[in-house]
Amino acid sequence: MLRVAVRGIRAHLVRFLLSLLAVALGVAFVAGTFSLRTMMSSTFDGIVDAGTPGDAYVRAEPAEGTSVVEGTSAGPAVPMTLADDIAALDGVAHAIPEAQGSIVLVGADGTAVQSTQAPSLVFSYLPDDPSLDVVAGRGPERPGEIALETATLASSGLEIGDTTQVVLGGQLSDAEVVGRFDMGAPMAGATLVVVDPGTGYALFAPDGKVADIAVYAADGTTPAELVDAIAPLVPDDLQVVTGQQLRDENKDAIGEMLGFVTTFLLVFAAIALFVGAFIISNTFAMSVRQRMREFALLRAVGASPAQVFASILVQAAVVGLIGSALGIAGGLGLVQGLKAVFEAMGMDLAGDIPVDGATIGVSLVVGTVVSVLAAAVPARRAALVPPVEAMRDDVVVPERSIRVRAVLGALLTGLGAAAVLAAVLNTGEDTMDAALGAGAAGVLVGVLMLAPSLARSVVGALAWPFVRLLRPVGRLARGNVVRNPRRTANTAGALMIGMALVGGVSVIATSAQASVAGVVESQLHTDLVLQSATRDVPKGAIADVEALPEVGGAAAFAFAPLEVQSDGDGAGTRYVAGVREDLFDRTIDAETVDGDLGSLADGAAAVQEAAADEAGWAVGDTLRITGATGPRDVTVGAVFTTNVIGAPVVVGTDVLDALVPPEQQMVDLLAVDAASGIGVDELKDAVAAAVAPYVVISVLTQDEFVSSIADQVNQVLVILYALLGLSVVIAVLGIVNTLALSVIERTREIGLLRAVGLGRLQLAGTVTVESVLTAVFGTVVGLVVGVALASALPSVYADDGLSELVIPWGNLAGMLGLAVVVGVLAALWPGTRAARMRVLDAVSYE
Amino acid sequence: MATNDGTPIASARGLVKTYGTGEAAVRALDGVDVDFGRGELTAIMGPSGSGKSTLMHCMAGLDRPDEGTVVVDGLEVSAMNERRLTRLRRDHLGFVFQAFNLVPTLTALENITLPLDIARRPVDRAHLDAVVQAVGLADRLGHKPTELSGGQQQRVACARALVSRPSVVFADEPTGNLDSTSSGEVLGFLRRSVDELGQSVVMVTHDPTAASYAHRVLFLADGRLVGELTDPTPDSVLAALSSLRPAASASAAPVAVAAADGSR
Repeated sequence: MLRVAVRGIRAHLVRFLLSLLAVALGVAFVAGTFSLRTMMSSTFDGIVDAGTPGDAYVRAEPAEGTSVVEGTSAGPAVPMTLADDIAALDGVAHAIPEAQGSIVLVGADGTAVQSTQAPSLVFSYLPDDPSLDVVAGRGPERPGEIALETATLASSGLEIGDTTQVVLGGQLSDAEVVGRFDMGAPMAGATLVVVDPGTGYALFAPDGKVADIAVYAADGTTPAELVDAIAPLVPDDLQVVTGQQLRDENKDAIGEMLGFVTTFLLVFAAIALFVGAFIISNTFAMSVRQRMREFALLRAVGASPAQVFASILVQAAVVGLIGSALGIAGGLGLVQGLKAVFEAMGMDLAGDIPVDGATIGVSLVVGTVVSVLAAAVPARRAALVPPVEAMRDDVVVPERSIRVRAVLGALLTGLGAAAVLAAVLNTGEDTMDAALGAGAAGVLVGVLMLAPSLARSVVGALAWPFVRLLRPVGRLARGNVVRNPRRTANTAGALMIGMALVGGVSVIATSAQASVAGVVESQLHTDLVLQSATRDVPKGAIADVEALPEVGGAAAFAFAPLEVQSDGDGAGTRYVAGVREDLFDRTIDAETVDGDLGSLADGAAAVQEAAADEAGWAVGDTLRITGATGPRDVTVGAVFTTNVIGAPVVVGTDVLDALVPPEQQMVDLLAVDAASGIGVDELKDAVAAAVAPYVVISVLTQDEFVSSIADQVNQVLVILYALLGLSVVIAVLGIVNTLALSVIERTREIGLLRAVGLGRLQLAGTVTVESVLTAVFGTVVGLVVGVALASALPSVYADDGLSELVIPWGNLAGMLGLAVVVGVLAALWPGTRAARMRVLDAVSYE
Repeated sequence: MATNDGTPIASARGLVKTYGTGEAAVRALDGVDVDFGRGELTAIMGPSGSGKSTLMHCMAGLDRPDEGTVVVDGLEVSAMNERRLTRLRRDHLGFVFQAFNLVPTLTALENITLPLDIARRPVDRAHLDAVVQAVGLADRLGHKPTELSGGQQQRVACARALVSRPSVVFADEPTGNLDSTSSGEVLGFLRRSVDELGQSVVMVTHDPTAASYAHRVLFLADGRLVGELTDPTPDSVLAALSSLRPAASASAAPVAVAAADGSR
């Protein structure tokens, strides 16, 4: 029987090609996702290892309570002088105070050296710091000298000895490149610069406090001994940990983040495999149907049903194994391609593509198991058909009823819709987020199950223009699509899921865009908005702008992550914004819930309503805010709501300056008003000229600011469209497969149609209309589900800034257009194949 | 079409068709000259492998002869390209096959008007009603093929073949899958379409009773025309058939070998 199975595959290789392709695609995603994850985590682990090579670290106690600002600590807190004490200990080779800040480096082409998402960091160069290895030139020794990391030097286009400009500590200055250094690992595109210790510590540890001290053990001292030796010197609010512990903590944090990305990608892998399984099932159904007589013969000469069943499963396993092997190769190729793309964008990833046993094993098993499972249903059918039945002329394979599926689907859809409705009606309750998520999932799965029942009516309606306009092609095509609603629904499934996601997200995105634009237009009153690509407008640029005669006033929105403690809520790290005391009078329309925003001028804090509700803050409460300079008690003077400022706590500029030195604040936005008599255009020209040397600052009018927010939303959509592209590829494969199957099944019908005069073009047209109807069916159902679910969000999240519902009809129409294109593309091969059938062969086909 | 001026509606000259090559070559048609009368029901008979189906397929433009010419209603079929063949089948020919005659997704009425739909020709209501009346299916028009009996399905197929007023209707074993009662209905209808509507019909069959409905029966053996019979009865057909066998083997052509080529 094994020989029969293997010969069967060889004899029908072409038929199994689509199955191979489908398995390979799904497995490629699984393998690609895992190896991408391995590669990224080894890159980031490498960065962690290279960035924290010390044997022990002295750092501030991590803040108790919930940290709302990921990856931030409460600011530098370790006195530098401690490093000298530690260095004097026995067994200590070096103790390096570490403080870093952000920098703008101007490259050889006059623009800022910056890769997409990676930060630009600067730190002090100490000659005895073992984590840096100067490989060319020398380290910076005087102010005005810098050294660049190898990859940074390469992407900047600068040479050692060149003079360029940097924005450091908010000031624009000239700097000479004196050396090149390595960190011991590729740094994933981060722009890394070192300066002389004098400059560095003055800027990033102005009060003599640094983020941490890295301690390197002398030969013969273990990290544990080192920690024990240092511990007595460390004050209570600081702690000493081994380097290993710090590295593990950092790696765990990165692992969590990568886990999210991995999950997201695996969802798409699951979709690909689902469609792959369906394609395999289809292929085997087709193969089984065609070979009923062969099976009958096998049964007649004594093969048992189990043997027939097994022979088909063996074929499936072979297809699964080969497909998985191809998929693994494809997945690794995909990652190799991604790596090249990242490198072209200036983001180096570590080492070679990891080929580990686990990835290969999991991918092989997944691909093979999915194949075998998918083939099991048609195999069972083949095994159970009695020999006599199969010997008959027309083998009628009964279709199982879709009623059970429809009832379950309707039930699930109803429950899901009820949960979503509950969330809409009971906004603000904590459990409602979960209800919304579960409800949305329920509706999506329910509609997928309902799809066969929907197919008849929806396709009937969609086909109406074809039936009217294309006689008889439209009617024939409609008949073919609704003939087997279960198959039509499964074929359209991939597009349904993809389109539901895209439809939903584009509604959310455009609604968010409109909401933000609405907020900006109604609540932010300013002539110009300045923003920096580094998300931190340099202080020097602010000073330069304020000094312009055309400028009537400038309000900076400065932020720092600080520990905020209150009686009601304990401690937590939150963003604290520092704004001009009269900001709420002039620039921002905020809604005062309680208290008086004017109290900012008296040194009080204003808190956002949402944060106040969560933490239990009220007017008159005292917040203890701890910055680099130590704690400070601030009274809550007002509770307010605005969507212009993101930070939960707002204080006056003076208060923030007192808590954190301005060098360590981030200014993410500068609102500039014209002096009286100055037009916006004139103001913009003047400001743009003043900030031009800082390279990274964009100067926008209010309208331009609104459209730049729109651009950000569009970037999110681009990523989504990439994923949509994926589901389209899978959908095309699925539709091609289904059409090929139904063309083969309908060979005699096609022969008949041709015999009574249907032309080749008309026949190809029928297949094309079928294909388009299937694709449009999936798209319409998916978009309706996605848009309907997303439309519930603005009512649920109105308080969080999503106040307007905008349905992007243009985008949705584009999706429909895409579906038509998909349908036409998918019909090319099956349509040609059908048209090429010889009439006589088709008529006498059995 | 209805005028019987004595010229044949379809004729073939010197038809040769060979399947396979070398040792396995089978000469399905070995130089056939034949005329089919206008306004007549002509039956083609012969044992399995005699080439009767091949002859019909070549006449109907479904298959191409290797040599010889086929002319249907003044049009030279053997010289046509695929596109013209399609149009010929659509506009000038009607077909009834042994099985699988109807498109399962269309109703009986839609199946009947399918050739007109394909040609985008308007439906001649009066003619359609006459045809539907004649096949006795007026009350089943809205049904799908799966809801019709085998005999009803074949009658729908006949109605479809006639509705476009073709020059010739080709019927390939139209009663092969039917019981005798249904066969009688279908054959009676085909004969009436000739007698009352002046239709020309060519029918392949191996059933002497079916052949007895014809005006004329042609006998084929080993790819050659070996005899004919006008105004046949089942008995005369049977007699002709049994006299045919020894004659056929006596005149066996050098290449022709009785092959298990039943479907062709």
